[in-house]
Amino acid sequence: MADSVDVAPELPLTEAQEGLWYAQRLDPGNPVFNTGQYIEFRGPLDVAAFREAVNGAVTEADSLALRIRPVPGGAVQRLDPTLRPWLDVVDLSAEPDPLIAARAAMARDMAQPMDPACGGLATERLYRLSPDHHLWYQRAHHLVLDGYGTELIVRRVASLYNAGLTGADPGQPLAPFGAAVEEDATYRASPRRKADAAYWRKLMASAPDITGIAEGAALGAAMTARTAHRAHAAIDAATGEALRHTAAMHDLAWPDLLTILLGAYCRRLTGEAEAIIGVTFMNRFGSAAARTPSTLMNVLPLRVRMDEEAPLHEAVEEAVTQLARMRRHGRYRGEQLRRDLGRLGAGRRLHGAIVNIQPFHEIPSFPGLTAKLHLLGTGPVDDITFDLRTDPGAATLRLDVEANPNLYSAEEAAAHAMRAAHFVSAALATGRFAAVPTATPAEAQRLVEAVNDTAHPVPDTTLAALIGAEMAARPDATAIRFEGRSLSYRVLDERSAALAAVLAGRHIGTGDLVAVSLERSPELVIALLGIMRAGAAYLPLDPAHPEDRLARILASAKPRLALAQVALPGEVEILPPSSWPSRGSAPVGPRPEDAAYAIYTSGSTGEPKGAVITHRAIVNRLKWMRQHYGFAAKDRILQKTPATFDVSVWEFFLPLLAGATLVLAPPGAHRDPAAIARLIREEGITTAHFVPSMLAAFLAHPDARGLAMARVFCSGEELTPDLRDRFHAMMKAELHNLYGPTEAAVDVSYWDASEGDRSRPVPIGRPVWNTRLYVLDDALRPVPPGVTGHLFIAGTQLAREYLGRPDLTARAFIPDPFRPGERMYRTGDLARFRNDGAILYLGRSDGQVKLRGFRIELGEIEAAIASSPMVCQNRVVAREDRPGDKRLVAYLVPAPGYDAAALRAHVAARVPDYMVPVAFVALDALPVNTSGKLDRAALPAPEMGQGRGRSPETETERRLAALFAEVLDLPEVSAEEDFFGLGGHSLLALDLMLRVRESFGRDPGLGALFENPTVARLATLIDAAALPPSDNGLCPLISLARGEESRAPLFVVHPAGGLAWNYGNLARALSPERGVLGLQAPSLDADAPPPASLDALAADYADRVIAAGHPGPIHLAGWSVGGIIAHAMAVRLRELGHAVGALALLDSYPADAWRAEPEPDAATIYRALLTIAGHDPAQCPDLPMERGAVMAFLRQGGTPLGRLPEAVLDGVVRVVEGNNRLIRGHRHRRFDGTVTHFRAAHDHAGRALSPAMWAPYAAGLEVVDVPALHGEMMSGVATGVIAPALRRLMASHPGSAGHLVSLS
Amino acid sequence: MTEETNPPMTRERMRADIARALRMDPEEVGGDDDLNDLGLDSMRAMSMVLRWTERGLQLDFGELAEKLTLDAWWAVAERAMAKRVHG
Repeated sequence: MADSVDVAPELPLTEAQEGLWYAQRLDPGNPVFNTGQYIEFRGPLDVAAFREAVNGAVTEADSLALRIRPVPGGAVQRLDPTLRPWLDVVDLSAEPDPLIAARAAMARDMAQPMDPACGGLATERLYRLSPDHHLWYQRAHHLVLDGYGTELIVRRVASLYNAGLTGADPGQPLAPFGAAVEEDATYRASPRRKADAAYWRKLMASAPDITGIAEGAALGAAMTARTAHRAHAAIDAATGEALRHTAAMHDLAWPDLLTILLGAYCRRLTGEAEAIIGVTFMNRFGSAAARTPSTLMNVLPLRVRMDEEAPLHEAVEEAVTQLARMRRHGRYRGEQLRRDLGRLGAGRRLHGAIVNIQPFHEIPSFPGLTAKLHLLGTGPVDDITFDLRTDPGAATLRLDVEANPNLYSAEEAAAHAMRAAHFVSAALATGRFAAVPTATPAEAQRLVEAVNDTAHPVPDTTLAALIGAEMAARPDATAIRFEGRSLSYRVLDERSAALAAVLAGRHIGTGDLVAVSLERSPELVIALLGIMRAGAAYLPLDPAHPEDRLARILASAKPRLALAQVALPGEVEILPPSSWPSRGSAPVGPRPEDAAYAIYTSGSTGEPKGAVITHRAIVNRLKWMRQHYGFAAKDRILQKTPATFDVSVWEFFLPLLAGATLVLAPPGAHRDPAAIARLIREEGITTAHFVPSMLAAFLAHPDARGLAMARVFCSGEELTPDLRDRFHAMMKAELHNLYGPTEAAVDVSYWDASEGDRSRPVPIGRPVWNTRLYVLDDALRPVPPGVTGHLFIAGTQLAREYLGRPDLTARAFIPDPFRPGERMYRTGDLARFRNDGAILYLGRSDGQVKLRGFRIELGEIEAAIASSPMVCQNRVVAREDRPGDKRLVAYLVPAPGYDAAALRAHVAARVPDYMVPVAFVALDALPVNTSGKLDRAALPAPEMGQGRGRSPETETERRLAALFAEVLDLPEVSAEEDFFGLGGHSLLALDLMLRVRESFGRDPGLGALFENPTVARLATLIDAAALPPSDNGLCPLISLARGEESRAPLFVVHPAGGLAWNYGNLARALSPERGVLGLQAPSLDADAPPPASLDALAADYADRVIAAGHPGPIHLAGWSVGGIIAHAMAVRLRELGHAVGALALLDSYPADAWRAEPEPDAATIYRALLTIAGHDPAQCPDLPMERGAVMAFLRQGGTPLGRLPEAVLDGVVRVVEGNNRLIRGHRHRRFDGTVTHFRAAHDHAGRALSPAMWAPYAAGLEVVDVPALHGEMMSGVATGVIAPALRRLMASHPGSAGHLVSLS
Repeated sequence: MTEETNPPMTRERMRADIARALRMDPEEVGGDDDLNDLGLDSMRAMSMVLRWTERGLQLDFGELAEKLTLDAWWAVAERAMAKRVHG
């Protein structure tokens, strides 16, 4: 339209365009902003007339010929008539398969990223496959066209084609692009915009955070994917009819009803009370731009929260009202609203899934042709989008799903399409959401039946009979090894029979309980077996447990007798091993339905509860294990789990069932990695069990390296993928992850996590023999794969009951809805099916926590605290202030006479030591949120270090502990506490090491403290004859944390001051998987010549990194100035032919941003020095900013920096100054990989600093928002965001097997 | 869904349909009143246009959306009906 004008005016971008332009700038190589489709024509197309028609529409559609170029503060656009995308006709009819050729050509074109500054943002092409078969391909950057705009063009082309062929009226031309820009400007300046903003802010004020329907949605969404998965499902005619009918009956618009139905589906999947979906709004009604091809579409949030029990039309009412209001306020941009609400960065989205209903989606008629639409891309998909297209007359609705491949598999996208369609149909058919299961009938069938098809014949017998047969069959084989001595099966048989005879003589048998409280020893095994052979069930008790707890258990279980060394609380009679005979005949023994054992677990009411397991149940479990893993007589199985923990059951009896050897660890050895490693080596152990946290501690011990066993089992808590991988790096054995509660005969599911398993997370797997696992919603209906539900167990292995608690039994063991007459057990665990039917464990649904393998009811601890008169009110929480370090903390409102030490003693007398909180925090009141629940976020982290843990023992430990306490300003420090966990930071670390040098005359070096941060470990190092080579913390390459030798470490580059100690938090967060090495400025040393340029400095650092000889690829990170250097190093390393993995810039911006700033004066340098030392220069207004005064201040202030030798302080000043000069003179070159920018999202308000400034200097740019100021990027909070992202990033660059290899 | 045999669209019929959607009397809807100001939103308009389509009058929603007055809409309808007769 503007072709007649020589130069079209330069126009601002609309608000809608700005968001897209910024997103494309951030990721210039990303083609996902290309939207595209093709219409497939069958029939005789008049190509000449079609060309006329398309070119006619192209002449009218100005936006297709835009060029958008960056200017300071944004971008401007201008129509360039030479860019109009005239129809290009491509004849593929000679190709062997023209359709495939055309599809490939379109895919190639769609994959091409567009530079908006170059134009060429749209393409119109016709592929001729045969005279009667054509594909009309249209591609446009989302900046210039949205879906509605594309339809405008299609309809216009149809009108013109019709007119050309038939002479019909061609209708109204498309409206000029300027109209859209003008209207946008008018709205931006209008009072209506303010009113709209107020409406949205109010609506969203109390809205919850977004829970994605895909796992990891919150974090993954920070990175825009390059493609999307697409899937579709048809919604049948009956559903379309029901939709219209229901809508008409209740005076609703059917698109609104459909939007809410799909929203209800999304809400189901999140498992939350409220889901927020995004609703697309065409933004064209009553607008001059209604017929302008452009991008105007807006996405606004809809809060979906409904009473599922209400009739459908009532349940949707509130959302219908919201939709009506949305239309009144719909011009306000969703992107702007997100900024208004501060919902920025990872996990702070405005909405989850998007629902996009296009009721006017209609392919216009082309005379003589049938036309079918194929979508190729509709722009970026952050999460998942449900598109519903239909034309006004059509009875069928087509549901398309587009999903972000970072979050969903193609299979999941297809399942969502199919399931959402089913959900909509079922909701309309039943008229009530509550009546609709989330899973489709086919899914439910598969998850209830097919996955649980575990029927397997098992002899109906008892453990006593099976072991009896084994003992008789191999009398001379070794049954038990203990402290170097062997016990044959014959002796075991005799002694257990004799004990059984004694019990029978006391009329103890079927239906009775006998308590066992013995240290690990052959007598313990004889006791357990003897009790079972007598027909009774054993009740294991831990002599180390507090008397109060033992008394309560004994009072409720009422055992007939106790096999123990010493007296137990209460009346129970004791029969010590010394009075057991060695000869006697075993009685008949138990029946399969009799109890084998009863194990007490923590109970939420404060009362422990005893699960009773029958022989039939445990025989199933052990027979399965024996056959599944092929146990045989040659196996030597380590027994190290206390008998009160049900893992011990298979450790004790599987070897006896298999004729193998049971190797008992000495009492207490189960907590000592060195002793376990020795035992495994010396006894030739083939099979051992570890609780994952114990496995982690075990692997950290040098003696574990290189161990080989046949298999290792994990259970009791979550086995993380990192731990699995560390396991395989350290030792050679199969690794198996088992899961099961005490209430179901030890384990009910299994997963092979052996070498080669890449699952993240590691599943708990599939059900064992004759066992069924269900993942159900609150209404006990199966939930589909990918959706979190409650885990239930059914089958042979279920416990019979809780001892003496029919009430608890009835609550936990409920009728199995899928097998009439059978029971299922409510585990209280949350779980989710993977698509392949494997189950993932997702934590507890109630107050129960798992700590180092122990299942703990917080309620039991709370009850113990509440029983003290010193406390008015209390809550116990499991805090994980540092990843992987879960601790129990009690928060309480004290009563008169409160004393923390006395309370600790009170609690320790009532619960086992692993249940005693590590800290008791007294508060004036317990914080609650608006719904009256405990506000966990408002609970302060406890101050650690008040005399917890082992006291220092050796002379070195005592002296070191005193130094720790001095530096940390604490009254005392125990031997095992982490210096950094106690609040030590890098500067305090230096202070400490200087004192260590003074005190001991030895200098283990700062790096040694990072690796050995406790008094005990540092003492070991100092006491060692040979200290590692000293580093004074100032050398150019410093080790900040040790990692696995086979993994590529992370190199971190110093910021302005030249020191890299500030990366301590990050280093510890990445350790022990990843080593972290810090590059420090060589010119801290006055003798080192200053570098000539930043590139020269980077080249020097690159050489040092290469010389260090670690496995590649080389991962780099740098904060502030360090980021600029890291970028230059990456360029240099690539030049040298080395592989660069992660390149992480921690809130650093290119040199271009600093060149314009004035040359820094001395005062600026000294202010920087003060900041590095941890002072706020603004707090020292009277301090003259010159060398002498600042140095004196630093020394007097007692800051660690002030304790540095003068020459070093001078070095820091020199480096700050030098870095400033180097940066101003630096010209960035382009790095041919992806830069990951960690942006300090709370900072830079009002400054033109943007990660996008790196775009010209990298092939790709990814941005992760960190909720911090620039100066806080090294803090614990920021590290909590940065470390996991970095870990993933590094994991996505797998290393080469060997060491650095030059590619050149 | 169509119970009646489709009577041809007239300006008065259009006015009556709009008024019903807005819960107003037909005489309250003036020829150049902004329908948006009278409370018509895109969803109500869409429903109305869908009903017209079912009755056989196919109107371009984009053209209707451009200017929200009875006069403008009737002009769009007249053009569509003329096109149907002649085209």
